[in-house]
Amino acid sequence: MMSRDSGASLILSLLISAVLDSDGLSPPGKPRLTSCRSPEKETFTCWWEPGSDGGLPTNYSLFYRKENSDTVYECPDYHTAGRNSCFFSKNDTSIWVNYNITVVATNALGSNFSDPVDVDVVYIVQPHTPENLTVVLEDEDNPFLVVRWEPPRMADTRSGWITLIYQLRVKLEKEEEWEEHFAGQQKQFNIFSLHSGEVYMVQVRCKPDHGFWSEWSATTYVKVPDYISRERSIWILIAVFSTFIFFVFIWTMHINRNSVKHFLLPPVPGPKIKGFDTQLLKSGKSEAVFSALVIQGYPPTSYYDDLLVEYLEVYDNKEQVLMLDRKDLQESLFKSKSSSDTDSGRGSCDSHTLLMEKCVEPKEDQTMMPQVKDSEASRDLVMKNDSNTPESTNVKTKTWPTICSSYHYDQNPCYHSIPEMPRQCHISSNHFASTHQQDYWESPADIYHKKPPSGYRYAQAYSEFNIKGIALKEATFPASKSLEYVEVQHVNQENTLILKPIGQEGPDLFHAACTGHDYSRVNRVVSDNVFLLQRDTSGQCHSDCQEREAPVRSCTQQQPGKPADHLQVPRVQETHLAPNGYVDTATMLSY
Amino acid sequence: MSKNVRPGSLFVLLLMCLDLHTLVESAPICAHGHTGCHSPTLSDLFDRVIQHSARMHGLSSDLHSDFEQYFLPSRNQIGRINRKCHTAYILTPNGKENAQRLAREELTEVILKLLAAWRDPLSQFHRSMARHEDFTSISGNKALEMSDMVHQLKNGVEKVAEKMQLLGMISNSLMSLSSTEALAPHSASSEARSMSDYELLYCFRRDSNKVQNYLKILKCRIVAEHGC
Repeated sequence: MMSRDSGASLILSLLISAVLDSDGLSPPGKPRLTSCRSPEKETFTCWWEPGSDGGLPTNYSLFYRKENSDTVYECPDYHTAGRNSCFFSKNDTSIWVNYNITVVATNALGSNFSDPVDVDVVYIVQPHTPENLTVVLEDEDNPFLVVRWEPPRMADTRSGWITLIYQLRVKLEKEEEWEEHFAGQQKQFNIFSLHSGEVYMVQVRCKPDHGFWSEWSATTYVKVPDYISRERSIWILIAVFSTFIFFVFIWTMHINRNSVKHFLLPPVPGPKIKGFDTQLLKSGKSEAVFSALVIQGYPPTSYYDDLLVEYLEVYDNKEQVLMLDRKDLQESLFKSKSSSDTDSGRGSCDSHTLLMEKCVEPKEDQTMMPQVKDSEASRDLVMKNDSNTPESTNVKTKTWPTICSSYHYDQNPCYHSIPEMPRQCHISSNHFASTHQQDYWESPADIYHKKPPSGYRYAQAYSEFNIKGIALKEATFPASKSLEYVEVQHVNQENTLILKPIGQEGPDLFHAACTGHDYSRVNRVVSDNVFLLQRDTSGQCHSDCQEREAPVRSCTQQQPGKPADHLQVPRVQETHLAPNGYVDTATMLSY
Repeated sequence: MSKNVRPGSLFVLLLMCLDLHTLVESAPICAHGHTGCHSPTLSDLFDRVIQHSARMHGLSSDLHSDFEQYFLPSRNQIGRINRKCHTAYILTPNGKENAQRLAREELTEVILKLLAAWRDPLSQFHRSMARHEDFTSISGNKALEMSDMVHQLKNGVEKVAEKMQLLGMISNSLMSLSSTEALAPHSASSEARSMSDYELLYCFRRDSNKVQNYLKILKCRIVAEHGC
């Protein structure tokens, strides 16, 4: 009977459920406890989430068990906290006690239990938001915000039951980001560095020492009036002051602009020539400028000029050319040095060794002779001479010593070294003469076939300076004599000037003629291409009246008269000699 | 005559030395009522003790969460223990009203009882923690610090109680109680030994929270300055 009844009820329930299922009805779904919270650690509330209701009105109930107790209690208050919630009042709440809470959903078809949740009220405290948030602007000159608030009403901080810590956040109304500040347990906070004329928003929240943060309180707005912050005013003051200083500085610089310019851009020192007036030069009066440079009584130039003049007066209108030539010669003599000499400073004749080098120098020039257009003969001779260079150089130097001997007084502008040079030159020439005299003798023709010093290059253009090895008065070449001069012996038919070296005995060239050297002085120029040689009738010297070419008259045409007449050269000091003690007849003859 | 005086004088000297020694030892450096001496006020003492208890509770919370994280007890064990804490025999107020209803002396006594009850189990806990291989050295240090802190906190609370008694805020009956009550019953200790590490941590976390809370209530009740 009983089994029949139970079986019947079972079949009936199955049928009903089958019928209900066909309609979509079912027992409720499983509810879920979402959270439990306590605002002041004295009461708490639990909320749940209902599952599916199964199409039927479902009833939810909450049951709980306290720690270590099997007594099941049901939620005392389902309404205070709203729908699907359970509110535990003070009487029902025990702190430091573990609650085991379950929600049951029940409908006509069945019930469903949620998963149990263990809750200890101490750890689920989430207070309400702080209250009475006030923001006050203080100190109009340099304003700052004073933010004050109260703890939530329900939280009992006065008795020490709850300890709350606070946090506030501030932002400008137009901004996005909040600026958060931690206030600890205090209920007041100051905010500085405000933007003038802006609106600020302030919020505050709190948290128990072990628990959850509350929600942010309602926003409080505050407007900061326009003001000039102390910081900005200081900056303005500094800016004004520095501007003033800057202007003073600029003014000072302007006043002293010249000295500033000198300091920053020091003037480049220009050439300083005593007596040189750049203004005068700019004005275009070059004559005046250059005349200012001329120092009266500047011996080398004047001596040279005098000497040139002394010589040149003998000649006719060609003397200008000759003058030039002489000048060029001088230059070339100097230049000869420089052509192979990289040091231009050495042209200033500072060292006494200069002339030594100059004495040696000509050899180099004469080696360069092949470069200049030359007569074949001389070229050959040069080559031949080159073969035995040492001797040839020595030989060459003999032709050149004119520089030394003649220069030792006047031609070098370096006065201080004058006394030395002749000795040296003399020594050198003597040395050469003594040691290599044989060489000289061996190739006397070489000398004459050599190209003349470069100074005479131009002379070569005019006529072939072809000194043949005509019979030289070898006897007239004393061994000790240095061959510094070349005397014109005669001019042959081909308009060539035959020269022979003159033995030179130092300063007294003019009246050294009587020491046995043969040389001729030009008496005068008679006409074109004709000059008269003077026979030196003084003393023991007698010049050789050699046959000369037609254009040249020799001693036959010697005119009586004082040597002074003939020469018409102002007799300067005997110590002063021309660069060459002889006449550049070659140039003369070309005309 | 002289012979008698000499030993007598020596004896007196010895006694005096001893007395001075004891006097120096027993007497506090800053005697009550001395001027120019900065003895901590009750408020300062309370603040120190509360800070200490906060630190202790922080350590216990950290260890408990570490334990839950690393040892992953079964889900049904999280937040719940099967057994009572060994300090369940101590009647502690479970609410604000209950706590406020208690007298100061009783409250102080509860605090001291709680602290006394945890001294041995925590040292035991520290030793058992060291045996766990998974626990890091930091957790081991925390456990050691925690056990030291309980001892120090108890001394501190005793000092506070002394001060309160000196100031007449509480009756003198407390001192006798604390000395006898401090000796935790054997049963409680044995019960603690049978608890697992997790259970110990769970219980201690709660009890340290209680201590901290009670101290705050006590302070606010006794040192009622500007709204606590």
